[in-house]
Formats: sequence, C-alpha cells, structure tokens
Amino acid sequence: MSKFRIISLALVIAVALGSFGMALAQEATELTLWVFVDRHGLYMQSQAERWNEAHPDRAINLTYEQIDYTQMHDNLLAALLVGMGAPDLADVEISKFATFTKGDEMFYPLNDVIDPYRADIIETRLAPYTANGNNYGIDYHLGAFIMYYNTALLNEVGVDVNSLKTWDDYIAAGLEVTRDTDGDGEIDVHMMSVETTGPFSARGPMLMLGGGAYNANGEVILESEANIEALQFLQDLVHMHGIARPATGGHHHTPEHFIDLVEGRIASFYMPQWYMTRYPDNMASQLADVAVIRPMPVWEEGGYTSTMGGGTGTVITKQIDPDKVALAAEFLAFAKLTYEANVALWTDLGFDPMRLDVYDDDALLIAMDDFSGEVPFVHIKEAIASVAPEYTGAFYPEITTIMTTTMLYDLIENQMSPEEVLSNAAEELRAMGADF
Amino acid sequence: MLEILRMPRRLTGSLLNHKKVVPLVFLAPFLIVFLIFKVYPVILAVIMSFQDFQGIKSQDWVGLANYENVFELARFGQALTNTTVYTVGTLLVLVPLPLILAVLLDSGRVVASTVFRVLIFLPALTSLVVAGTVFRLILAKDGFLNLFLEGALGMDRLRWLEVSELALPSLILIATWRWTGMNILYFNSGLVNIPQELYESAAIDGASPWQMFLRITLPMLRPTTFFVVVLSIIGGYQVFVEPFILYAGGAGPGDGGLTLALLIYRTAFTSFNFGTAAAMGVVLALIIFVFSLIQFRFFGVLGGED
Repeated sequence: MSKFRIISLALVIAVALGSFGMALAQEATELTLWVFVDRHGLYMQSQAERWNEAHPDRAINLTYEQIDYTQMHDNLLAALLVGMGAPDLADVEISKFATFTKGDEMFYPLNDVIDPYRADIIETRLAPYTANGNNYGIDYHLGAFIMYYNTALLNEVGVDVNSLKTWDDYIAAGLEVTRDTDGDGEIDVHMMSVETTGPFSARGPMLMLGGGAYNANGEVILESEANIEALQFLQDLVHMHGIARPATGGHHHTPEHFIDLVEGRIASFYMPQWYMTRYPDNMASQLADVAVIRPMPVWEEGGYTSTMGGGTGTVITKQIDPDKVALAAEFLAFAKLTYEANVALWTDLGFDPMRLDVYDDDALLIAMDDFSGEVPFVHIKEAIASVAPEYTGAFYPEITTIMTTTMLYDLIENQMSPEEVLSNAAEELRAMGADF
Repeated sequence: MLEILRMPRRLTGSLLNHKKVVPLVFLAPFLIVFLIFKVYPVILAVIMSFQDFQGIKSQDWVGLANYENVFELARFGQALTNTTVYTVGTLLVLVPLPLILAVLLDSGRVVASTVFRVLIFLPALTSLVVAGTVFRLILAKDGFLNLFLEGALGMDRLRWLEVSELALPSLILIATWRWTGMNILYFNSGLVNIPQELYESAAIDGASPWQMFLRITLPMLRPTTFFVVVLSIIGGYQVFVEPFILYAGGAGPGDGGLTLALLIYRTAFTSFNFGTAAAMGVVLALIIFVFSLIQFRFFGVLGGED
C-alpha cells in the first residue's frame, strides 16, 4: 500500500470519526416526565420544541407519561423510596408536595435557574414548592380565585353582574336570586354553592382575609382570627343569609354539581381560574351563552382581590442522570418562566400566568365562546390586582385532608362553630406530631 | 431434600422425575411468588412497625412508639368503629341473603335459574372503577335509588353521598351488589353436597319444606357457612376499594366512610409515615386473626364438634 493510500485512508477514517463525534454531540438529551394531566405533558413538549429551536446545540427529547393523579404520586413516592424507577422530571400537585419533603432531599433545588426571573413573577407562587429555603418546583399557573356567574339567573331578577363589587352587594343580590321558582316550597335556585368535601370555598376567604394553613414563617396558623372570620363568613352565607348551599356531591368536581350548573340551579361560585377549563371539558360548553367570570367581591376597600388556589409544580427528581441536571433545570425555567412561555400558558393551556409583565400583552386578549364571547383576561387582570399569598409546610397535606373530610363538613352540615372546628383540626394535627 | 442431595450423580439426570422433587417443581412458581410478594412484605411490615420510617432516611428503632401513635389518633378509633359496623352490616346481609337465594335457585322452582345465577354473579367480575361511577349516579340525590324509594315507599329523598351517616349504608349496598353472587356460588356448592336421600326420607316422614330447611339444609351447610362468614369478616375488615372509588380517593363526607385500610393508606402515602401505617396494619391483622379464632371455636372447627 502506497504512502498516499495510507494517508487517504487515515483521512477518510478521521472524517468519519469526526462526523460521528459531531452527530453524538448533537444527539438530543433524553428527558422523561410524569404528569397526571395530559395537557401539561403536551404543553411541556411544545416548550421542548421551542427550546430546541433556541438551543439547537443543546437539544432535548422530552417524552412524557400521563398517569392517574393518585397513582402517579404513589408511584413517584415508591420509586424515590426504593431508589429506582423515577422519571427525570415530574409534576407534583400542591397538596402532595409536602409529603416529598420528609426525610432526605428527593428533588434538586431550582433556585439558580429561577433567580433571573424573580423580579418578573409573583414570587410567592413559589412558596408552595419551597422547603428549607430551596425552591424545588415551578407551577404552571397562578390559580387566581375568581367568581363564576350564570348571568341568565341574575338577569331574571334584574341583577347586573357588574354591580357586584362588595360582599354586601353580593349578599343583597343573592337574597333576590335565591328562590323557589315552581312554588313547591323548596328553593330551586341558590346564589352560591360551597364545597364541604373540597377545600376551595374555605381556602379562598381564609387566605384573602389573611389566614390560611401556614404563615410566611412556616408556622401553623389554623386557629387564627382571620380563619375564624373566614369560616364564619362561609357558614353565614349558608345558614344566616340562606343564599348558599353545599355543592351537590360535596365539591365542585362531582358530576352532580356539573348537572346543577347546567340545569341552572346555581347562580355563582368562586374557584381558581383553571376551573374555566371545566366549562368545555366537563359541561360540553352548555353554559356558553350565560357563563361569565368576574373578580371576587371584596370585604373592604383595599383588601386582597384574589388569592391562589391549587397548583402543580414540576420538579427534577434526584434519580436523574447528574450530567443532565443543569440542562433540565434550565429547560424547566425556560418552559415556565420566560415571557413567551407565560403567553403560551394562557394561549395554549388556558392558565393564568404568574409572570406579571405578560398581563399587558394584547396576545392574551382573546374572546372566548365559552364565556359569552367576552374577553375573560380583562377580568383576570383586574382580579390579580392584589393576590394574597399561600404558604405551605410539612403538614399541608394533612391539613387539606382534615379540611375536606371533617372540618368543613362539621362547619356547614353540623353547624359547629368556626372556633370549634378549627381547634378540633389543630388538636388532631398535634396528635399527628405537628408542633405549634 | 437431604436424601436428594446425597443421591449419586448418575441419578441427577432423572431428578426431575423423582417423587419428592416433582411436586416441588410444580409448586415452585406459586411458592416463589408467594414468598416474594406475600411473606416478605409481611415480615418487612412487622419490622417497619417498630421503626421511625418517615420519608427517605435511615430508619431508627423506636420500640412501641408507632403503636402508641396509632391509639392516640382520633381517626383510628373512628376508622375501627366504621370498619366494624361495615363488617357486621355485610355479615347481616351477605350471609342470609345469598343463603336464601341459593336455596331458592337450587329448589328447581325458579325458571331459568342459570341465567339468574350468571346475572347475580356478574358484579364480582365488573370493574370497580366503572361500578363506583355508576353507584355515584345511582346514589345521587336525583338518582335511581331515591326515585325508587320515593315512588315505591313514599320516602323523602336522602342525601346518600353527602351526609356521613349514610356513608356506611351506601358501602354495604355496594358490597351486597358485589358479593351476593359470589356467596351464592359458595352456598350452592355446599347444597350440592347434601345427600338427596336425607330429603327423601324426611319427606316420607312428613316433614314440611321449612322443617327440612331448618333440620337438614342449615346444619349440613355449616362448613360452608363458616367459610362464608370467615371470608366476609376478613373482606369486611380489609375493605378499601369500595370507599376509595366511591369517594374518589377520599373517605366520604365527615370521614363517614373511613375504613382502617383507607387510614393505613392515608398515613403511608399522604403523611409518608410508613412506621405508623405498618403498626396500624399489624393491629388490623391481629383483629382479623382474633375474630377468625373466635369463629373457629364458634363453629367447632377446632377441637371437634360437641
């Protein structure tokens, strides 16, 4: 073999090896994600495509798996417990998060990648996924509490939905709206439905009046004056004013409650913003001509106009390949905290973004057929003028369980006093080992 | 086993044909699965019940602290009471009802009894997730059950799914729907084994059908009844899926449907406190064990009949 041939062969081999190496470098990094809501998975994949366009040299290939809510969290706990089988990224629901903070650290802190965005977002939205000063998860939305009205039921008795600014206005209107329409002695239309086996009807007022489960210092404040006032308010709506009743089936996600809404038995209720997706998904848009959203009435001028409800934080589990952590964390911030992502959260997912500067973007002013052709974002923007923060802690899941099993049931159905149900809850928490 | 090991080498070729090896080979798949997925977890649970096992960290021995925890929790008492009421409720329904239906189906006076048998047995094969949804609709305020009670008995509509007092009756109703067919099957196999001559000679002696039922059928069915009662008690105390599905992972209004198994699950997977959850599991196992022992005595399975 001549010298020339050897050199050419070496060259060919070198070129082949080189291009192979480059192909390797450009190979997308595989990332796996567990979700319990399919649209979360689809959203993250669309964000992965956006990431790949912006960072072709650090491409990722995100695959997600959707598993039923309870099953997904149980599987994740089990996988983290035994040390294998967990995905790289996972969605953890707000009331499940604290369960994962017990014992050794299970997720990677995200503080560094969140830092550049802190000034742009409602930072307290990170609190529910924070433990020991570390932010472990980033939510999909703000979850602002808003009112959902059926304008037909209000118009029948001459109530203008835009006139309901304070709770006094609301209660006065409620006395008109709540009535027996067929004369059989039973009330057919109620102004409001409240949850007795769901947390939201209580949690909204508790937080907006300055209470809640935990304060900013991580102390349990169940028995606070604000919580007593909030629960008294709720009980009065049902029993003193008589304008509210328990949601059929106990909470706002039962098929029976959806039937009540469609049949026109409930004129209004408050839930977080994401409940808007239930109108097309669970009620087949049957209320499209009469449903509207508005900010919640206020207790007094200058008080909170809304608070946050529910939520799901995406986390990076400790079982991810350590080489992928930095990339995964950057992608997570990119997918949840960048300006474009927050616009997409509304336009793609229908969730209220936690980044404040996008609220002035015209791209979000979309008229929606499901809400009487109005532009709901105008009202969401008005609602988030002043958002009460929600703080959580180690016993947040237990507090939610107590609220949705006995506390609200005793308050509304058994008419026990707010002081009594709150002190019962506190006592039970202490028996479980909570120290406060 | 030792004999086998001592066997000369040339014999190992025919080892698989050996009288003592063959049964083991056939049993092996079951035994392996049983040891790994049943015995090992049970042992582990007992060990865990003496450890501080919260979250992912090294486990410390804490003696009986978990057991003390269990009895301090107000919900444990509530769950124990609920589960006991549920078990007694299912016993009161799921022993007499299937017994009577089995005798009727066996009597030859029912037209197309095979069709009935299949229909009554079907619920045991139905997916409970689907059943849970259907029962939510049946038990709803405007649901089938209320409409039936209103129309047939003139009763007021009840809030089956919304008040805690009706949670256990709702669960017993589901249990009745689900297990009646299964228990009929057990009683039926018991009935088939009663010699026909007994009835014939009783008839010659002039016994009425009622007397035959009391004096022949019931006593002869004793082993079957014992079996059904023990199974019902074990099943009753372990009830988990029915409330879990009916109340979408919760335990119903006011925790009216909170059972021991649900509380164990909640303690393990909501509080992530496996130690206390394991202790509850051990207590539940002891309760079932004691009740079963009492049953054995009551039905005279231990120590012969007197």
